[in-house]
Amino acid sequence: MAESTKSLILLVLLLPLLGFLAQSLLGGRIVKSGNDAAGKRVAGALAVLPILASFILGVVIVMGMTKAGVADRTAMYTYFNWIEIQSLVIPFELRVDPLSMTMVLVITGLGSLIHLFATGYMSEEKEYTRFFTYLNLFIAFMLILVLGNNLAMLFIGWEGVGLCSYLLIGFWYSDLNNSRAANKAFIVNRIGDWGLTLGIFMAAAVLMANLNQLGDIGGRFLSYDVVLSPASLEVFAANPGITTAIALLLFVGAMGKSAQFPLYLWLPDAMAGPTPVSALIHAATMVTSGIVLLNRMAPIFALSPVASAVVMIIGAFTALFAALIAFGHRDIKKVLAYSTVSQLGYMFIACGAGAYWVGMFHVITHAFFKALLFLGSGAVIHAMAHEQDMRWYGNLRKYIPITTIAMTIGWLAIAGFPFMAGAFSKESILGAAFGNHLAEINGIPVGAVCGWIAVGVALLTAAYMTRMTMLTFYGGEERWRELGLHAEPHHHEEHHAHAHAHEDHGPDEHGFFYTDEELAAKHEEHEHHHHLDAEYTPHEVSPSMWVPLAILAVASVIGGAIFYNVWNLEKWLYPNGVAMLDPELVHGHPTTGFLAQHMGPTILGVHINGLFWVATGAGVLGILIGYLIYRKGMPKREKSEDTMFTLQKAAGNQFGYDQFMVNATVEGGGTLADKVFYRFLDSRIVDGIVNGVGVLSAKIGSLLKIFQTGYVRSYALLMLLGVVGLLVSMVIQVINGGAN
Amino acid sequence: MATVPLFWYLILGGIMFTAGAVGVIIRRNPVVVFMCIELMLNAVNLTFLAFSRYSPTLLPADRLPSDHWMAGQMAVIFVMAVAAAEVAVGLGIIMAIFRLREEVDLDEMSELQG
Repeated sequence: MAESTKSLILLVLLLPLLGFLAQSLLGGRIVKSGNDAAGKRVAGALAVLPILASFILGVVIVMGMTKAGVADRTAMYTYFNWIEIQSLVIPFELRVDPLSMTMVLVITGLGSLIHLFATGYMSEEKEYTRFFTYLNLFIAFMLILVLGNNLAMLFIGWEGVGLCSYLLIGFWYSDLNNSRAANKAFIVNRIGDWGLTLGIFMAAAVLMANLNQLGDIGGRFLSYDVVLSPASLEVFAANPGITTAIALLLFVGAMGKSAQFPLYLWLPDAMAGPTPVSALIHAATMVTSGIVLLNRMAPIFALSPVASAVVMIIGAFTALFAALIAFGHRDIKKVLAYSTVSQLGYMFIACGAGAYWVGMFHVITHAFFKALLFLGSGAVIHAMAHEQDMRWYGNLRKYIPITTIAMTIGWLAIAGFPFMAGAFSKESILGAAFGNHLAEINGIPVGAVCGWIAVGVALLTAAYMTRMTMLTFYGGEERWRELGLHAEPHHHEEHHAHAHAHEDHGPDEHGFFYTDEELAAKHEEHEHHHHLDAEYTPHEVSPSMWVPLAILAVASVIGGAIFYNVWNLEKWLYPNGVAMLDPELVHGHPTTGFLAQHMGPTILGVHINGLFWVATGAGVLGILIGYLIYRKGMPKREKSEDTMFTLQKAAGNQFGYDQFMVNATVEGGGTLADKVFYRFLDSRIVDGIVNGVGVLSAKIGSLLKIFQTGYVRSYALLMLLGVVGLLVSMVIQVINGGAN
Repeated sequence: MATVPLFWYLILGGIMFTAGAVGVIIRRNPVVVFMCIELMLNAVNLTFLAFSRYSPTLLPADRLPSDHWMAGQMAVIFVMAVAAAEVAVGLGIIMAIFRLREEVDLDEMSELQG
């Protein structure tokens, strides 16, 4: 690779950081210097441009890599020694390889689109630059996470994106619910980070203990090229128990960040943040860090069939669990949040099966269509005066055609409609699961079980996404017209928290950030603009918002085919396969069982085979079921909690899991702290010891105070008696010992 | 010279010391207590002097300290000096207490009772 890459890749990392500094230090001044709208346009451009520049630089580097041979595609650049503790050296080093650069393109590419969308979406926001400060900082940390060449830098990025996620979930912090959601995300992620750090320490400890087998590594125990070197993998292979523990601990970290079953709780609540944040952080990039970690540490996971089986089972269970919950929600963002959790589970199924590249494949396609869906939902929410409840939507295609087309494409892509992006990656995941070569516990056919679960989830996904799309855009009934007839809508928290400063609206002659309706509305009553009522007319969003939608829609259509055929992600990410994995690698199509026997030829890059029909059938069947139920809009019984089916209501309540966890941790923790730690351990034991010492001293003192009469004469008597006693003892000694 | 034996001095000293000690314990007037203390000190002084005077006759020549056998008499001088200073301080304290409380009963001065 070219020598200039060293400075280019550093620039990729520094540009968002510069953007962050510009936003945080100068942003407020820039917004003030223009009249408000003009200032915000400049500030918004300053936020988008660094990310876009990073993306272009990333493309330049990748172009160079594609020209280079397979062996020359990986390069490490050391800039300075960051931490030196005796024999441990952690340099600031960046790694340019297919995996990191793929993520860089996803992060900066989607990042710049979503930044652009956000300039429009947040245009009425008072604290405009604070938002972009966080967003730019997030990009910088995410790049550190994927570009760093050692686990310590990964950890810094990991924590940094967690911090930015926390700040952005609680962006409208004046509403206590948002602050609570932010705290929940941060605290639940701490549990994951606990696992991640222990995993990192354990890996380093194992390598340090076997230093003599590693050769001269210069103390770089955490660098990937050391941890994953053939010599290190020999060490890991020689200690299978410890390797399984390391893999499981790393997976705990991945579970936290990527919202898998026991720890998924924070992601649905994270929807309290602004919608562009949900799209960028809580759907497309940050939540996929777990998959990136598994890909990065693939050889270690490949050494542990048990850990891989756990990954696969948890992924399958999460996919099913979250897909069921999605049916019970009417909040459009909540549905998408559970869909994200479910799709992340999908990715873990592939990783558990040893088809790591398939996990990355779904990361990419999912990033396209889920970012599209989230941004589209943002456009809908924007159009519907910040109402998120689908109960008040319906037939929106009449009012917001561009958003409708984009969202429809996103829906088909995630549902696995043939030849859309999602179809390719889902089919690959199913193939990986059925052709499982890695995950195994006691001969249980983990792959087949998880594969069939995944087929079921594909059907469910198609069904609930159809439900969402039909309820929002189609169905012919405009339900917000019923507002005020029956009951007032419950206003979503975001509605109140959205402390719009209406006077912030400034003229925008170019109309890029505001639509015509909005420009017209500026001269009218502003309160009217923000209240959904029966007379409300939804308005199409501004170009700054639908341009990213259009680009993502195109990507959602062709992304799958490109990465499956033209680009061939498998050969790009793992040209030599995964080290230490069975030589018969998983290629994303089954090699054993029923499906393998029914595999057919590949036509136009699409496997026309048993797997294709199973995957497509599940998707189309799901769409059909959803269409039949919701084609006429929202069924009556779903409009109220009271008339809902019990199962659907239970699903909406996450089958009681969230409540259980909240009870167990918050209230149970409170009870434990109060009853055991406070009332027993602290009050009785600790205070008991301290007070006991005091009471004992007082007791002894009161016993001794009998002698303190205060009468001089009694003291004199005692002194005399003492002297006599001394004399007597001396005399006795003299008599016994004799005078010497 | 050998008219009064050493034993008599010691008996006298013992009687004086006992009288002083009993006086210190039973009397409640601090001035009398002081006098009793003086009595005890002088009883000790008397025994010092007696031993000092008689040591050359009691000990064999080779065990007699060559020039320190007069040390007992020096100790008496010290005791008298210290006793004088002590009385001066003690009487001062008694005067102060008397001014404060208009009485000097030792048993009434028991504020430090535990």
